[in-house]
Amino acid sequence: MKTSNELHRVHAVTAALLGVLFFFIIVGVFGLPFAIAGLVVFVLGAVVVCRVFPTEDARL
Amino acid sequence: MKLDPSLLARIQFAFTVSFHIIFPTMSIGLASFLAVIEALWLKTKNPIYLQIYRFWLNIFAMGFGIGVVTGIVLSFEFGLGFARFAQMAGPAIGPLIALEVLTAFFLEAGFLGIMLFGFNRVGPKLHFFATCMVALGTLLSASWILSANSWMQTPAGVAIHDGQLTVVNWRHVLMNPSWPYRLPHMLTAAYLTASFMVAGIGAWYLLRGEHQDFARKTVALGTAFATVLIAGQVFIGDIVYGTMLKYQPSKMQAAEGFWEKQSQSPAPYYWFIVPDQKDQRNRFALGTPVLGSIWLTHSLTGRVEGLKNTPRELQPRMALVFFAFRIMYCLAMLMFAIGVASLWLRFRGMLFNSRWFLWTLVFMTPSGIIATLAGWYVAETGRQPWVIYGILRTADAVSPVPSQALLSTLIAFVCVYAVFITSFLVFTFRIIRQGPVEAPVYPEASGSIKNAFRPHVLDSPKRLADSQFS
Repeated sequence: MKTSNELHRVHAVTAALLGVLFFFIIVGVFGLPFAIAGLVVFVLGAVVVCRVFPTEDARL
Repeated sequence: MKLDPSLLARIQFAFTVSFHIIFPTMSIGLASFLAVIEALWLKTKNPIYLQIYRFWLNIFAMGFGIGVVTGIVLSFEFGLGFARFAQMAGPAIGPLIALEVLTAFFLEAGFLGIMLFGFNRVGPKLHFFATCMVALGTLLSASWILSANSWMQTPAGVAIHDGQLTVVNWRHVLMNPSWPYRLPHMLTAAYLTASFMVAGIGAWYLLRGEHQDFARKTVALGTAFATVLIAGQVFIGDIVYGTMLKYQPSKMQAAEGFWEKQSQSPAPYYWFIVPDQKDQRNRFALGTPVLGSIWLTHSLTGRVEGLKNTPRELQPRMALVFFAFRIMYCLAMLMFAIGVASLWLRFRGMLFNSRWFLWTLVFMTPSGIIATLAGWYVAETGRQPWVIYGILRTADAVSPVPSQALLSTLIAFVCVYAVFITSFLVFTFRIIRQGPVEAPVYPEASGSIKNAFRPHVLDSPKRLADSQFS
């Protein structure tokens, strides 16, 4: 049975792999309009996550 | 043993410019980072921002100093190693470098002293203004130098009469076809470099259980900046790729590792090759099937142009361009993946708890510098055999000096630069080991410029702070 920490690791790696797929969109594989849209969505998403989930208060 | 002056001149310039670019990359990124941090401090009055500012200011100052000194050497090397280049390109390149000195260096020189030593002497808003001016100076400096280098990549706005180059349109020289894309590409690289340095050192403190508040804030800021920046960098990088494919197809042909005029369909994406320039083939190639067509032609069956489209005598060395490009590209993908992972961990509230992620950040601390160096190797080695693309060959640009002169100066540069890098690393590691210093909640000087010249302000910052806030 996997520990919680291992599950978090698997989730994070999965998220990173999905991110690499996003990389394909931004790099222009589906054309410039999709690349621009992908960039905007990614940046807005990143800003929202960073602002909504400020984790500086979390302790080790 | 007979040494080729052309090869020695190239090795010398490659060494000195490779060493140099590390420091402007750091200082461009850190200057803007410091401006953001000081703005956050002014807005929130949270002393942690002042702590971050002071910590990184020391490292910025050392990097800035070495960057300026090693940059000046490059100008002299135009005369030492590439006098024929200087003679021919001087009318176009010379004014750009002079303008860098007049605008960027003067601006930086005017405000750097206030930025480094003015915390106790001028008010916080004036100090912030000084930081912004230094950051602006680094941007202007990058802009002029990128304009000059981009002109060498995609020359425009000049005419050649009897071997002498004349500028016919300054706007075209300044805003040559590759400059609008290469400038943001370089600036974003510098900001990414700073972001990963900041996050990496913060992660190191977290792993050691030291300076927790400082470390959490820097990891949070560094990963947030890096995540947004790498997405922009990937987008800009693709545009730069398209631009260079249009103006310097041989560079991108070499970067992708294909030799035949048209690759097979669908084309693989090569991760590793052993190219044989003499026989114009790869001795070994390791790639992912179909990915080359998808990535490079944006179709499932597209073919990729190989280096045989370029006459043999005008081909760059494939190995150098290919591996430099792969290092840069793979690091960009890794940065992107780390950015996404940081978002996920932030979402789960695990950003500071995941030791594997913190270790990854520590190992990625120099990643921006490595990627930037690799990017410049792509730009410079991919332009060969030209020094000014399509106009002047590198072999024809070398100074008529004996190889002994170039060899002795190369050895001297290696020795002096070894001292530079050792000093920089020793002092940087010492700063990191000592850690950030506790900062006061309030600014230490009263605010107006006139206070800067009062003896008691100069002599005793603490007394001023006490009198102001007691």
